[in-house]
Amino acid sequence: MSDLNKNRDDILVRFVNLTKRFGNFTAVSQVNLEIKRGEIVGFLGPNGAGKSTTMKMMAHLLKPTEGEVWIRGNGELIKLTSSNKDVLLDNIGFLIENPAFYGNLTPKTILKYFAKLKGYPRKKLNFRVEEVIRMMGMSEWIDKKIKTFSKGMRQKIGIASAIIHDPDIVVLDEPTTGLDPKARKDVRDFIRRLKKKNKTVFLSSHLLYEVSEVADRIAIIHRGEIIAFDTLDNLEAKAEKSIINFEVLNPPENNIESYIEGLKEVIYPLTGVDDNARWITYNPDTKIFQTFFNGQSSNQSEILKLLITNGYEITEFSVPKAGLLENLFIDLTKEGQTGLEG
Amino acid sequence: MSIKNKEEELIKEFEKTRAGMKRNFTQIADTFTFEIKKNFKTFIIMLIFFMIIFTLFSIVLYLQEIQEVPLPDDPIDYLTTYLSMIGFLIILSTSGFAGSIIAEDFQKQTGNLLFPKISKIRLFIGRIMSRYLLNAVCIIVYYTLVSTITFIKYEEFPPIILTSLGWALFYTLSMFAFVTFLSSLMKSTSATIITSIIFYLMVFSLILQMMAFFAGGQEPFFLITYYENIITAIFNMPDPRYRELTFGGPRMGGGPEITFTQWITPDELTAFIGMLLYAVILLTLAYLRYRTRQSKSEV
Repeated sequence: MSDLNKNRDDILVRFVNLTKRFGNFTAVSQVNLEIKRGEIVGFLGPNGAGKSTTMKMMAHLLKPTEGEVWIRGNGELIKLTSSNKDVLLDNIGFLIENPAFYGNLTPKTILKYFAKLKGYPRKKLNFRVEEVIRMMGMSEWIDKKIKTFSKGMRQKIGIASAIIHDPDIVVLDEPTTGLDPKARKDVRDFIRRLKKKNKTVFLSSHLLYEVSEVADRIAIIHRGEIIAFDTLDNLEAKAEKSIINFEVLNPPENNIESYIEGLKEVIYPLTGVDDNARWITYNPDTKIFQTFFNGQSSNQSEILKLLITNGYEITEFSVPKAGLLENLFIDLTKEGQTGLEG
Repeated sequence: MSIKNKEEELIKEFEKTRAGMKRNFTQIADTFTFEIKKNFKTFIIMLIFFMIIFTLFSIVLYLQEIQEVPLPDDPIDYLTTYLSMIGFLIILSTSGFAGSIIAEDFQKQTGNLLFPKISKIRLFIGRIMSRYLLNAVCIIVYYTLVSTITFIKYEEFPPIILTSLGWALFYTLSMFAFVTFLSSLMKSTSATIITSIIFYLMVFSLILQMMAFFAGGQEPFFLITYYENIITAIFNMPDPRYRELTFGGPRMGGGPEITFTQWITPDELTAFIGMLLYAVILLTLAYLRYRTRQSKSEV
């Protein structure tokens, strides 16, 4: 605990042995996490893993059963308590779970109220509300009642409510829930813009792709415990396995199985994985082939070379980050590898 | 400087807003104005409802007039006709304004947005003040209508109606506290409203009747609805403040003669203390329950 008193300016938030029990059920167990200034930390886990519960403890919506949340204030990391939560949480914006609003009010009215509660300068209030609504791409809806909004639109207003007072730390719990693909991309771009403004973001999701595209470091939580917390590159290295996505020019409309058999003959010797772990699949909707390999760059390069040499006209060849995390997650949550009892 | 001192300095500095006022007062004020906007539609609906009730009473009295039923000599008797349902109007309006005051945060999960930004006590105070004000305005408007029509009919304004209004507003506060307390316990706004009305129409009435039969003449000062009676009794305070009713005996079908005491109204001091205690205790209990209550998403 003496480490917590050291003046490490880069740590803004620290969870120490954070635990939450509801009766006999342990929702979060011994979570230790640090969030550094200016970074995006992804909090990844399936539904029910403990992500929202952890974030609620950070927001002081729930009191931890054990452990502590430490937040930087006045240059020091200070333990979050009921008496100082107004102070320590003042510079943090939260979006917890699916936001619910008052249907007969407009986004302008609600966001102005939230900004006032956070002490945002009154003279700049209208400008700030319009600016944030514009960032969410909802300017034409600013004076319409929220009960007419779709789920995705409410989610955007929820994100707006988290940043309305221009906090330095933004905590987003499943921010892309209910959003269409374009809106999801907009949110990812928005998160990247926050980072460029030197904001610190802590975001949770059960969608591997969403987190891997924006996060600097990723914490994976499973059944209430952190099972991995590192940069994406380090996690990839730990995974030691990956997936290649590739597309070919004019794949056969019929008899795709024999085409895949041909691919197997070329690719399988170079995947670097055991015989029983090798596979190739084809998605007829996206026209993308996927194959599993050991994640080594050299193997990746050899596979590409051999495909071209064997006459396959490759139009797309990539290693999606989500594939790495997916495999890592599956590996880490297998019985015996996490120390969890089955 | 130690971490403890830095923390204290941070908290002290934080409590000042840019306007120089303490953050807790500005948050209460902002919540007050926000809740006025949020509940304005409910306010309009309640006003319309009160006006409808007033209109219906006016129609009844007008029909009596054209049937050549003479107006009461005393304007007090005329205006108390309009106040015969004031207790019901009060429970309806308080249910409408206070029913959602706490239950809504858990029903709609709005707490996740609110509580990292504002403490429950400030939110609670801001909501109580704004919604009670809207509720009180509805009562005042009703009394204004009643006073106006009384003035039109009798060309005089009995000042005692202001005393009755004062008691009505005080009783509204205690009923408001009661509904707020129920709201802190219930899972939804509609459940709170229904429960409040059931308690008013049935539960308290039944308890009052049971007390009349079995409580040996004890004044029911612990029953909140007992205090409603002073709103109209103040015009002509009865002495004694109870009546004795006899049932049975040879003149009423035989059997034993039973006498029971029915209390008409509390006296002013009892009413003041009783309603004040109800308001303070129930609002305190409501806040304590609100503070410890977690959203329904937690087990």
